[in-house]
Amino acid sequence: MISNSAYGELEQAVGAGFATREPAMIDSYCWQPFLNMSDDLWVTRPAAVVLPASTEQVQEVVRSCNRNGLKFKALSTGWGAQNGATSEDVVLIDLRRMDRIVEIDEQNMYAVVEPYVCGGELQAECWKRGLNTHIVGAGPHASPLAGATSMHGCGNDSISMSTSSRNVLGVEWVLPSGDVLHLGSPGSGGGWFCGDGPGPSLRGIMRGTSGAFGGFGVFTKVALKLYHWPGPPSIDSEGMVLDSTGELPDCMRFFNCSFSSERDSVEAMYRIGEAEIGCIQVRMVTSELVLLIMPHLFPKLVKKGGTILKLLNGVMAHPFMILLAGNSPGELDYQVKVLHDIIRSCNGIAMDTGSIAPARKLMGMNLLRCTIFPTVFRFGNMFATNLDGNEALDTQSAWTHAIQEHKSGYVRTGGLIDDGGENPYMINYENNLYGHCETIYLYDHRNPRHRESLEPLGFDATLCAIEQCNVPLSAFEPVTRKIMSPLAYDFNEWQKKISAAFDVNGVSDTGFYTDEKDPDFSKIDPAKIEKLRRLQARFGKSGD
Amino acid sequence: MALADFRDDMMSCVRCSSCKWIPFNQMKSSRFAKNCPSICMHGFHSYSGSGRINMGLSLLEGRSELTEKVSEVIYSCQMCGACDTHCKVYREVIDVNDVFLELRARCVEDGQLMLEHMAVIDALKRENNMLGEPKAERGVWADGLGLKDINVEAADVMFHAGCRFAYDRDLWPGVRSAVKLLMAAGLDVGTAGAEESCCGGRAFELGYRGEARNFFEDMLARVKSSGASMLVTPCADGYAAFKYLFPLAGIELPVEVLHTAQLLERLLLEGRLRPRRRVPLKVTYHDPCHLGRMGEPYLGKWEGDKRERLRPMSRTGKNGVYDPPRNLLRSVPGLSLVEMERIREYAWCCGAGGGVIDAFPEYAEWTAAERLEEAVSTGAEILVTSCPWCERVLNDAVEKSGAGIEVRDLNEILLDSCAPGEGLVIE
Repeated sequence: MISNSAYGELEQAVGAGFATREPAMIDSYCWQPFLNMSDDLWVTRPAAVVLPASTEQVQEVVRSCNRNGLKFKALSTGWGAQNGATSEDVVLIDLRRMDRIVEIDEQNMYAVVEPYVCGGELQAECWKRGLNTHIVGAGPHASPLAGATSMHGCGNDSISMSTSSRNVLGVEWVLPSGDVLHLGSPGSGGGWFCGDGPGPSLRGIMRGTSGAFGGFGVFTKVALKLYHWPGPPSIDSEGMVLDSTGELPDCMRFFNCSFSSERDSVEAMYRIGEAEIGCIQVRMVTSELVLLIMPHLFPKLVKKGGTILKLLNGVMAHPFMILLAGNSPGELDYQVKVLHDIIRSCNGIAMDTGSIAPARKLMGMNLLRCTIFPTVFRFGNMFATNLDGNEALDTQSAWTHAIQEHKSGYVRTGGLIDDGGENPYMINYENNLYGHCETIYLYDHRNPRHRESLEPLGFDATLCAIEQCNVPLSAFEPVTRKIMSPLAYDFNEWQKKISAAFDVNGVSDTGFYTDEKDPDFSKIDPAKIEKLRRLQARFGKSGD
Repeated sequence: MALADFRDDMMSCVRCSSCKWIPFNQMKSSRFAKNCPSICMHGFHSYSGSGRINMGLSLLEGRSELTEKVSEVIYSCQMCGACDTHCKVYREVIDVNDVFLELRARCVEDGQLMLEHMAVIDALKRENNMLGEPKAERGVWADGLGLKDINVEAADVMFHAGCRFAYDRDLWPGVRSAVKLLMAAGLDVGTAGAEESCCGGRAFELGYRGEARNFFEDMLARVKSSGASMLVTPCADGYAAFKYLFPLAGIELPVEVLHTAQLLERLLLEGRLRPRRRVPLKVTYHDPCHLGRMGEPYLGKWEGDKRERLRPMSRTGKNGVYDPPRNLLRSVPGLSLVEMERIREYAWCCGAGGGVIDAFPEYAEWTAAERLEEAVSTGAEILVTSCPWCERVLNDAVEKSGAGIEVRDLNEILLDSCAPGEGLVIE
C-alpha cells in the first residue's frame, strides 16, 4: 500500500490523471508470462504506476520515492517479467509519454531519442534520410533506448550495426538520487556525438555488458549511432502472411547457406565478418522457418515421423541466412563473389533464395525490420531462451549443441513442444570480435507441464554454460546470478557496490540487477546438483 | 458467450505490445506509427488491447474488482479493432475485440454503466434510434426520392439508412446521393421509412445485449417480410452489425448484405454506373473501421485450441471492404487519389465508434483531429469516407480545428461525376 500523501506527491509530480493505484489497471502491468517461472504468471503488483512526460517529472517522481521510502522502476514497452516490479513498494514509471525522436543528425549520423520511441519507427525515419539504425532481436516494437542503456541489445543486423551497447553516444540519466547526469559528450555541453567524451564516460558503470534491467535510475534520452542505408526511403509491404510480401530492393540479395559440418559453418561466419560484407546475418534452422510461417502444417509434419523436416534440416544443415546490401551494382556483385568464395572454401553451398520470388518477398522486410520476432509465439504460444552470452562463435556453437541434448529430453517427455530442430538464434557481431547465440524452447505457458520444465531446463543450461566457460545473459535473473557470480570474478559483488554508491537510499528496484536468490533444488536431479558443486569447486572464486 | 469463454485468449497475451502500433512492416514515419487512439490519449497500458485483456483476466481470476474507474477504462475505446488486427498479423489465438465485447457485457451485468450510454439506450427504447429523434421523422431524409415503401410493396433492394444518416441533416446529401445512384442504375429500391429502426449494433457493442437482441430480431423480421433479395446500407456501423454482430448473436439475415460502396462498384463493373464528368480534385480516403477490419463477416465460434485455427478462419482484418470505395474513386475522371500512411486494415480510427462519441466527445474529437492531420499531410483537398459516423466526427473536428480539408461522402463525389442523361435525377 502507498500512503495517500505519497500518492498525492506522485500525482502532483506527473499531473492529474497520470498516476494510478487502481488494482485492475495496475494488473495490466503484472501479467508477464515471458521469462516468468512463477506458477500463476503474474508478477508482483506495484504500489502505483505513473506516466511522466518529461525528464523533470521523472526527477520529481524519483525524489518523491526517496522521501517516502518507496522504490521505483522504469519501463517502456514492458515486454517480459524483467520489466515488472519485484516488491510491493515499487512505483512503476511507465515512460510511454516520452516518445519523441528529438533529433536525427544526418551529417554526424546519430539520433537522439526518448524512451518510448520504438525501433520500427526510428528505422522508418532513418531510411527516409539514407540512414539505418540497429534493431534489437526482441523486435521493432522494442525501445532502442532500453536496449542501449539497460538491456543486452543484439539483433539480426549486428554484423553490420553491432549491438546496442556499442551504439550509445551519450545519455541523459536520472540517477537514483533524482539528479540528472549527462554521459559522454553531452556531459561537457559538446552535443551528442560521442559516448566517451569529452565529458564523463561511465558506460561500463551505466550498463556493463547487459544493463541493469531498470534497476539503476531512469534513462530519459539517448543518442544512438546511425549507419548508412543503401535501400529506398520505404518498402511497400502487404499480404496475408505476416504482412511481409514486400519486394527486396535491387541493391540487396538474400542467401541461405548450409554446410557439411558445424565447424565449417562457424568458420564461414568468421570469414564473412573479416571480409566486412553483409547487412544481416542470422542462423535459423530451416524447420524453424517452416514452423513460423506454416504453424498449422508443422504438427502434421512432426507426426509423420518428421521425415520431411529431417530432410529439410539435412539438406540445409548448419545453416545461416545472409542479406547483402551494396551501394552500387558493382559493390553488390563484389559482395556476392566474396560470399561465394567463402562458402565454397568452407565446403558449403549458398542458395540464392532471394531470387525466388516468394522467399524474397517473405523474408526481406522481416529481416530488415526484425519483424520475425512475434512469429515465435505463433506455434507454441510462448518461448523461453537460455539467453546465451557474448563470446566467440565456437563457444556459442558448442554451448548450443550441449543444451540441445537436454532440450531433446524435455521434448521427448512432453515437457516442451517439438520444434523439429535445435532452434538456435545465432548472430555475428561486427567483424567477428564475438557473437551471440540463444537456444529457443517453444512451449505453451498455459500448460502446467510445460511450465514445470522451465526451471530444471534453465538449470541444465546454466550447467552447460559453466562447462563451456560461458556467462549467460540470463544471469540477470536472481537464481542464475547467485550461481554464476562466484564463478566469474564475483561480478555481482561489484555491481552491488556500484549500485550502493549511486543509490544511497536503495530506492531502485534491483530485482533484476543485483538481487540474488537461492536455487530451489527440489525440482533438480541430485546428480546434476552434485555436478554443479564440482564445477563450483573447480572454478569458484578463481575467475579462471 | 461470457468472459470466461475467453480465458485462453486472455492467457495467450504475451504482452508484446504489438497491439499499440501499426504493423511494423507498414511503418513509414514516426508521426503515424501508432494505431490505438485509446492508449495514445490515456497512456496507461490498461488502455491498450493487451492491457484491457490483462485487466479482463485479472477480473476473471478475482484479483481485482470492476470499479467505476475500470468501467471507464473499458469504455474509453472505439472498438476500432486496430489492436486485434495487428495481433493477428502474427498469431491467430487472441480475438481481442471479442474479449472487449464480453468486458462491456460484464459492465452492464454488474451495473457499472456510463450515464451517457444509458441515455443512448433510453433513446433507442423510446424512439428506435440512438439520437433520440422522433420515430415518425425517420424517413424524412428520403422525401422526394421516389423510393418504394417496403412496408406496403416489395422491392429487390432493401435500403437501410441507419440512425445517423436518417436524422443528421448535414449528412443527407451523402445518403440521398447513394439512393440516386442506385435508382439511376435501374435498381428496384425500397426503404422502411418511419418504420426503420436502429440495427442494434451499437447497443450490442455497449454491452446491452438484451436491448440489442430486440433490435436484431426486429430487423430480421423486417427483412424477411420485405421479400428483398439484398440489404444495402451506406452506414459502416450497420454493415458491421449485419455481417458480424448479428451472426455472433445467432441471427442470420436471409439476404445478401452489402455496403453501398460494394453495390456501386458492382454496378460500375457491369457498366450500369458511368462516372463521366471530370471532378478535378485531389482526395484521400478514410477507411471506416466498421467497413474495413471490423466489417469482416463472422466466421463462427472456434471450438478448441485457437492455435489450430487456420488463418482464413480468423478475423484478420485483411478481408474488409477496402478496394470497392477506392475503385469507385479511381473511376472518376480527373480525380486523383492519394493515400495516407495508415490505411486499410491498419487505418487510424475516426474516433466515433464504440460509444466514445457519446461518453467521451473530447476524446472522439482528438482522435478525429489526428486523422485530419494525417489527411492534410497528403496534400489532399477532400477527405472522402463512406460512413456517416466518421463523416460527422471528422466534420466536427474540421470545424473546431480549422484544418484545411473538407470531408465528403463517397456517394456525393460519385454523383458529381455521373453526368446528367444517365437517368439521374439531379436536384
